[in-house]
Amino acid sequence: MNNMPKQFVPLLLASSGFALASAPAMAAGVPAGTLIENTATASYDSGGGTQSIDSNTVSLRVDELLDVAVATRDGALVTIRDSAVLAFSVTNTGNGPESYVLTASNSVSGNDFDSEIDGLAIDTNGNRVYDEGVDTLLANGATSTSIAADGAITVFVLVSAPTGISDGDSSQVQLTAAASTGTGAPGRVFSGAGEGGGDAVVGASGADDDDRGRLAASFASLTLAKTGVVSDPFGGSEPVPGATITYTIRASASGSGDITGLVISDNYPTGTTYAPGTLRLGSANLTDGTDSDAGEAGATGIVVRAGTLAAGANQTVTFDVVID
Amino acid sequence: MLSGILLKVSLVMALGLAGVSTAAQEAVALHGDVKVVRVAEQNGSQVETLEDPEKVVPGDRLVFTTSYHNGSTEVVENFVVTNPLPGAVALAQVGDFDVSVDDGTTFGELAALEVVSETGMRPAELSDVTHIRWVLQELEPQTSGILTYSAVVR
Repeated sequence: MNNMPKQFVPLLLASSGFALASAPAMAAGVPAGTLIENTATASYDSGGGTQSIDSNTVSLRVDELLDVAVATRDGALVTIRDSAVLAFSVTNTGNGPESYVLTASNSVSGNDFDSEIDGLAIDTNGNRVYDEGVDTLLANGATSTSIAADGAITVFVLVSAPTGISDGDSSQVQLTAAASTGTGAPGRVFSGAGEGGGDAVVGASGADDDDRGRLAASFASLTLAKTGVVSDPFGGSEPVPGATITYTIRASASGSGDITGLVISDNYPTGTTYAPGTLRLGSANLTDGTDSDAGEAGATGIVVRAGTLAAGANQTVTFDVVID
Repeated sequence: MLSGILLKVSLVMALGLAGVSTAAQEAVALHGDVKVVRVAEQNGSQVETLEDPEKVVPGDRLVFTTSYHNGSTEVVENFVVTNPLPGAVALAQVGDFDVSVDDGTTFGELAALEVVSETGMRPAELSDVTHIRWVLQELEPQTSGILTYSAVVR
């Protein structure tokens, strides 16, 4: 219990020459445990001159108000392919230190899919970004450390995508923070459970609050299309021995997000032989050998490492074979 | 020598304390009390009751009272009761008293007072009030009364 003599605050301000007498702004109100003491003084003239008298001092202690506010810190949809991190602020809007039971729920009506809750984390270093191995992990449903009155923490909800979801599917995850002292209708009293031995009283929030973070599945899907054009040695397009077939493999990404680590491979058709030096990725020639460039033409087929392909983009691999 | 001075000081203090027990000889007695306002719904209308302040949280309204009684046989004149507001509360409404927003240096009606703000002077607000004061010209012998103000826990 911190018995700071609040009633003396105006006197300190006065000594600095200001008439600003109001107590320091405190969103959550005066701290739990603060003593409010009131004494009146009278002066009067009576027979023997001016006299002065004090009343008794009435004193009461401010009890602890249990309140909390939860808000998503994600300004927009958070995209998810395999996993994602949602961020929430949990603010102690009460007037005493309090810890909160933190529970994430994946089951929100209207969800296209229910993501899996892998766990929670507290933003230990305060940068509002989840740092694996740095931020303290917390099991779903566990209790936070104590948050000072008016203080806030960032809570991360770590989620994974279930199988079978499609690009554009949406989902919400709800984080609830409930005062560990207790919750209930505003005005409910937990005797002796407040800061400094006073009572704890449920505030307007009901001592719990929740908010939702929004997820959008972001998948790119790949389409491969292969075409072959025959050029015979006589200027025609007959597939005769000695004719060249130019194969084009077109990789197209659709949906949203990126396709990463794209590798395109193809075997030469039976009865054909690769035409050396014809392998290309887009407009770039690739050497046939296994070296630092993106592809090679081996004895039985070609392999091209096309890398990352953004949704809506495409990439083309071409090579020639000669009919035996 | 030093211990001799300390002894004198403590003697004076002892006499001072003894003086309190003779307060019954004072012409006027003051008694302070505080209640908390509770609002209850009754038959669709809001009913306010005053209760002992067993549970008080920010936002609660408190009613502070000071009862006075002139127990003497003489008229008391220039009866002035000054009440510094506890810092943890803000005055809830003006009443039959003057207020001060400068720690009791000057008193007046709230509407006539100003305080220093970041951008110059601004009209004083209820939350700026530091002291309140009642002035009664005289108290007849054997008369009593109650002075009341209400304040909200900040």
